[in-house]
Amino acid sequence: MLVNSEQIISALIETVQMVAFSLLFSTILGLPLGILLVVTRKGHLLQNLPVFNVLNGIVNIFRSVPFIILLVAMIPVTRLIVGTSIGTAAAVVPLVFYAGPYIARLIENSLLEVDPGVIEAAEAMGATPWQIISKFLIPEALSSLVLALTIATIGLVGASAMAGAVGGGGIGDLAITYGYQRFDTVTMMITVGILIVIVQGLQSFGNIAAKKIRRR
Amino acid sequence: MIEFQNLKKVYESGGQQVAALNGIDLKINKGEIFGVIGFSGAGKSSLIRCVNLLERPTSGSVIVDGHDLTSMSVKEVRGIKKNIGMVFQHFNLLNSKTVFANVAMPLTLAKVSKDAIKKRVQELLEFVGLADKADYYPDQLSGGQKQRIGIARALATQPSILLCDEATSALDPQTTSSILQLLKKINKEYNITILIITHEMAVIREICDRVAVIESGKIIEEGTVFNVFSSPKTETAKNFVSSVMNDQIPDSIKNIIQKHDGMQKVYRINFVGSTAGQPLLSELAKQFEIHINVLFGTITELQGTPFGNLIVEFQGSDKEIIRALTYINQKKISIKEVTAHAS
Ligand SMILES: Nc1ncnc2c1ncn2[C@@H]1O[C@H](COP(=O)(O)OP(=O)(O)OP(=O)(O)O)[C@@H](O)[C@H]1O
Ligand SMILES: [Mg+2]
Repeated sequence: MLVNSEQIISALIETVQMVAFSLLFSTILGLPLGILLVVTRKGHLLQNLPVFNVLNGIVNIFRSVPFIILLVAMIPVTRLIVGTSIGTAAAVVPLVFYAGPYIARLIENSLLEVDPGVIEAAEAMGATPWQIISKFLIPEALSSLVLALTIATIGLVGASAMAGAVGGGGIGDLAITYGYQRFDTVTMMITVGILIVIVQGLQSFGNIAAKKIRRR
Repeated sequence: MIEFQNLKKVYESGGQQVAALNGIDLKINKGEIFGVIGFSGAGKSSLIRCVNLLERPTSGSVIVDGHDLTSMSVKEVRGIKKNIGMVFQHFNLLNSKTVFANVAMPLTLAKVSKDAIKKRVQELLEFVGLADKADYYPDQLSGGQKQRIGIARALATQPSILLCDEATSALDPQTTSSILQLLKKINKEYNITILIITHEMAVIREICDRVAVIESGKIIEEGTVFNVFSSPKTETAKNFVSSVMNDQIPDSIKNIIQKHDGMQKVYRINFVGSTAGQPLLSELAKQFEIHINVLFGTITELQGTPFGNLIVEFQGSDKEIIRALTYINQKKISIKEVTAHAS
């Protein structure tokens, strides 16, 4: 084995950092976007078809670009925001552009599952649109939203491994540079094992949290 | 008080125009329980949803307590909605919130203080008989219990109007009855005007004061429950009435009438109110030379008044039968000859 445990631990920390920060920022981007995709659609709370169509189009464009291409295409933007295109912080930018629209779609789906009758009851009570979103839509969809964010997080773990390969560091970087390019099978197996454990752990955590919110 | 003036609603769906309401004129008085009945697609939901502008009328006005809602701003309408409670067929409770939080919701939205909310919710849960269920979640309750919670929630802001769109249609007959009694109690104790939409005539009979029959987006008949039940005018109203009154002559009886040779005549006698208590038949048999044979009969109660319906056969000479009929007419009891084809 060509790597020591210290290298693995620091790679692990980098991965966690990348995933955590990109999850944070892409949720900040994706949550309002997802809500807007729901409430501006036809027949909904704040119907506004031009806004809906534009947002829907933007999300589709980002969703249709493969991450590996997005990674490269975003380099100028990354330089502008972070100042460099290499390193863990720089990897967060393309990750956010990748996961933000993805999270928006997932959140849109969760919110659309809310019983329209509940929204109708809210409207009958004289709730404002903001009250309907914050006190009806989100609480009713919460358990499904947690599952959606779990899926997004797992997606980010995978994407962060790719980002690592172009200089972001982390577990993925380790796997490529040692496991793949230097034929170090043990390192490859260890890194893959670590990724499996992370994904399993995240999924279990998400399931338990969602269940707890839903109760029973 | 709710008043509809030439109310029209046209839906656009896929380039098609669907006229759901075709000029409704209707006045619902303060403190009454008013029922609107009609078949599926008649426009019932469209009508009730115009009362709190869940649906914007295409034209015409909706006047609630003297305010024309259609000319109000969105914000003003939101304020008015606090005065109009609504109960739904499928309850529409928040599954993520406890019974307490569900009932408290309208008060939370109105930014009422925590203490006041607690007191009011307690009061409401006691009123609907579910004080022990405050910490339950809706999916732990039966349909009838959910609807009681829906009613408690609708009453939270002390509205003067309660709208019920098929509030009992998802419930079994016994539960329906108990929910209707609860609505009656609300009407009596708080003097809340109740507008009920239903396709079940039994619901109208059980609690409404007045009723309107809606068909193809138009009110085709309107009156007190007693009048509409005792003398329905339109075909649709007759159908609805006979669906609960059971006043159709059974086929077996029709067969008997068909076999008659002319010596017998068959009549339908309607008893209303105090006349239902008179021993009419025995008087007839004593005073006239006729034999009386009761073929079929029902008696029900409408708004506390007995209402009877009897199919009888008179056997005797024409002269005696005519004398008997005159006697009945003098007593202001309605009697009509029944032929084999007519009912
Ligand atoms: N949102 C809508 N878009 C298009 N058409 C609609 C819409 N809502 C109702 N309609 C149409 O308007 C007519 C009246 O519908 P409405 O829901 O008021 O009937 P209803 O009497 O409540 O029927 P039901 O007993 O089935 O609930 C129907 O023909 C229906 O198809
Ligand atoms: Mg309906």
